[in-house]
Amino acid sequence: MDESEGVPEDFIKLKSEKLSVDEVSELVVSPCCGAVSVFIGTTRNNFEGKKVVHLEYEAYTSMAESEIKKICRDVRQKWPSIKHIAVHHRLGVVPITEASVIIAVSSPHRAESLEAVTYCINTLKASVPIWKKEIYEDEYSWKENKECFWANSEK
Amino acid sequence: QVSVLYFARSAELAGLRSETLWVPRQVTSLQLWEEIVKVHPRLAVIRDQVVFAVRQEYVLLGDQLLVLQPGDEVAVIPPISGG
Repeated sequence: MDESEGVPEDFIKLKSEKLSVDEVSELVVSPCCGAVSVFIGTTRNNFEGKKVVHLEYEAYTSMAESEIKKICRDVRQKWPSIKHIAVHHRLGVVPITEASVIIAVSSPHRAESLEAVTYCINTLKASVPIWKKEIYEDEYSWKENKECFWANSEK
Repeated sequence: QVSVLYFARSAELAGLRSETLWVPRQVTSLQLWEEIVKVHPRLAVIRDQVVFAVRQEYVLLGDQLLVLQPGDEVAVIPPISGG
């Protein structure tokens, strides 16, 4: 294989600045890959009839990065043809409609990257120590992912 | 002597994000929780919804025996909501 195609890499970043779909997808583009699949998680403006003013995210940063790294390792085991993986998650205040998370995966053919992106976001929601607070007009609420096995089931 | 980190709702209930606590070198995860609640009684309300992360590995509250080294990091982990 051509040296210029590069070693498979994981690009993991938690940051408070606005996320860029262009930046994240460009990280994973590779000459050997015919497919780049991208997931963007954006913030909705309503929950149970309440208007969401904005979201706030906090993270156990060092563990969040290591858990995302584990997800990348699992992805490479399940789909060995995957080339690059990028996971960017925003922290702090995220205004409505802006992205809170962008995941991009490249592979030679589309099936693997599409499946891997789905796996990444589903597993992230179940295992990465990041918390979201929804700020409404006169109250707030710490959210709980249904994927989180230690949350109370009825929410 | 371990570092205890608090996040999200647990940080609000404890009123702080981190502190150093003296705990026995060997404790079950449930005993460790009870030590923490002694210091921060308001945390009792979330007992059924938290897990620990000990040296960045998740641990359920229960009989699991923890062998703690000085300086180990223990985090109180309320239900997560990333993504």
